[in-house]
Amino acid sequence: MNDLIRSLVEAFGPSGFEDAVRDLIRPLVEPHADEVSVDAMGNLIVRKRAAGENPLKVMIAAHMDEIGVMATHVTAEGFLRFTNIGGVGPHTLLGGRVRFADGTLGVIGADRNDDRSAIHPLSKHFIDVGATSRDDCPVRVGDAAHFERPFVAQGHRLTAKSMDDRIGCVVAIEALRRLPATVPHDLYFVFSVQEEVGTRGAEAAANRILPDVGIALDVTLTGDVPEARSMSVRLGDGPAIKVRDSGMIAHTGLVRLMRQRAEEAGITHQMEVLDGGSTDARPMQVAGPGCAAGCISIPCRYVHTPSETVDARDVEGAVQLLVAVLSNPIEL
Amino acid sequence: METFDLLKRLTETPGPSGNEAAVAAVVEELWRPLVDETAIDRVGSLAATKRGAGPEPRPTILLAAHQDELGLMVTRIVDQHGQGFLRLTNLGGVDRRHLLGQTAVVHGREALTGVLGGLPDSLLPEKARGQAYSYDNLVLDVGLPTERLRELVSVGDFVSFRQPLRRLHNGRVTGKALDNRASLAAVTICLERLQGRRHTWDVVAVATVQEETAYIGAYTSGYAHQPDVAVAIDVAHAKGPGANDSELSELGGGPLLGMGAEIHPAVYNALRDAAKALEMSVGVEPNATGRGTDAYALQTARAGIPTGLMLIPLRYMHTMVETADLNDIERAGRLLAELIARLDDTFLPDLREELMRPDKRKDDSQ
Repeated sequence: MNDLIRSLVEAFGPSGFEDAVRDLIRPLVEPHADEVSVDAMGNLIVRKRAAGENPLKVMIAAHMDEIGVMATHVTAEGFLRFTNIGGVGPHTLLGGRVRFADGTLGVIGADRNDDRSAIHPLSKHFIDVGATSRDDCPVRVGDAAHFERPFVAQGHRLTAKSMDDRIGCVVAIEALRRLPATVPHDLYFVFSVQEEVGTRGAEAAANRILPDVGIALDVTLTGDVPEARSMSVRLGDGPAIKVRDSGMIAHTGLVRLMRQRAEEAGITHQMEVLDGGSTDARPMQVAGPGCAAGCISIPCRYVHTPSETVDARDVEGAVQLLVAVLSNPIEL
Repeated sequence: METFDLLKRLTETPGPSGNEAAVAAVVEELWRPLVDETAIDRVGSLAATKRGAGPEPRPTILLAAHQDELGLMVTRIVDQHGQGFLRLTNLGGVDRRHLLGQTAVVHGREALTGVLGGLPDSLLPEKARGQAYSYDNLVLDVGLPTERLRELVSVGDFVSFRQPLRRLHNGRVTGKALDNRASLAAVTICLERLQGRRHTWDVVAVATVQEETAYIGAYTSGYAHQPDVAVAIDVAHAKGPGANDSELSELGGGPLLGMGAEIHPAVYNALRDAAKALEMSVGVEPNATGRGTDAYALQTARAGIPTGLMLIPLRYMHTMVETADLNDIERAGRLLAELIARLDDTFLPDLREELMRPDKRKDDSQ
């Protein structure tokens, strides 16, 4: 699975600019789908039809976009001022590298800072692409960049700049490959856009699909590093079944079903209560007349930094759990 | 049923946001004899439909009162020398100052009653003294050893507060979850009164879910039932010691009518006219920017729903001693019934007129 992970996590895809990621995923899923389409927002919707009568519509969402930056101003000397795309912390910037869609590499510098203990706000950082003036700068206002960092696999631990949420895309692709030829539900795998800027892609897709059941695949935080927040999720303890995050409370029946399937299949798993952040499950929950929404989370350390780290065993467990949920009856 | 008994049953049933099934069951039992059909939807909202006497197709008014209450959720199970303790987080806008010393129930494999405890103030680090307990130093203690606790409880289990409804003097009652079971009681009273009253519109009364966290039930019910008019029923801060000086929100002073960005003037006026017909005094709750009740989500459901808001005065909101006046609850129920009985086939055509030419109102008594 590492080759698949590497190709996806290193691809360019800040929110709103997911084309390259979509182009990678589409040929991988087409052999396993009855129908593949792209909607007006850019969501890749992969449909696998049910075998039986009156099937449930199940939407599975993993977002293709990643956090990044966008140029807002080019100075006369050719430096770029920029804004954030999604939740970018100023403490993750200085000395980092970014890459624009055309391949231009930039390094991030900051205005003079005499107080070494203070972190400049994002607005006092700039990007240096080697230009000497506005005229020879290859970057225009509005161009987006992602953080540049190679994929690293070290034992079970996998580190990359965009585990959030390419690892969810990997889980979805891998589940599509492993699902039996006939499934009891109408499955809509949505590789969504613009999650990091307010779960916008999934909102549009869910309002089109009007699912009965919605399952997001996304990363969650952990409580297993020094001085961590009080949270029970640990890297390597298996996929996490979300009960609540700050955007939604998962459908209690769906949570129960996921636990049951995990136990039946002997999949090590953990329960997740997250105090910050939300996922594509949130817009699915309130789409149309509402749906039973939940999320299978992949525990991830250092979320929204260029070194997001997951455990390969948790990824494998998430695939198994998703396959177990989708290939069996869903009674809520 | 006496209003106190009705309210006692409703408030003492546990229903933290996201886990409202027990309340929905009680509400269904209360409403089923009063309506034509009841159904619980995918997100857990209970909808009760009472068909009107008018010719088809009939317009629909939706009443939305949320059934969820504030609660807690288990985040970790910690061990201290073999004894197990539960760490928690909030569901909805819990005020941490009120947690220490409360009794609460964790809904694990079985319901376990425990106490919310912590170190006495004098043993806390100096800077933590005199402060509200943070979730880092508050525990739910059900008295079980860790091993047994882990068998019965897991991370993500819901926790509800336990507090009986009690009578104070002067028709006042106090307990937990009056926000918003007081409104469910009012809707119940409304449906009872409609038994003897002709109404031409269909009525869909909904006990919505997850209002305290994200208005989930209002979004989804507004879409599902596509009503012509909606009224959210909720609670408002009543005047009391230290509370604002609003002269309009008095405990025992009658329900309040919401006014502001999310309120359709015609629905507001219809509520006011219904109060006039009953010679009932009502206050006004101005809220320029909106948010805070199901009205927020109902207004923009589907192609937009003309929405009104009725509020029951409440002291000490979001605590375990929320205090309301039984008279206000009964009045709210009567006012809703009056509103519904007065809806006729001129209401919807006039409603558009209302927005376009508010100064041309026919029977404005100002």
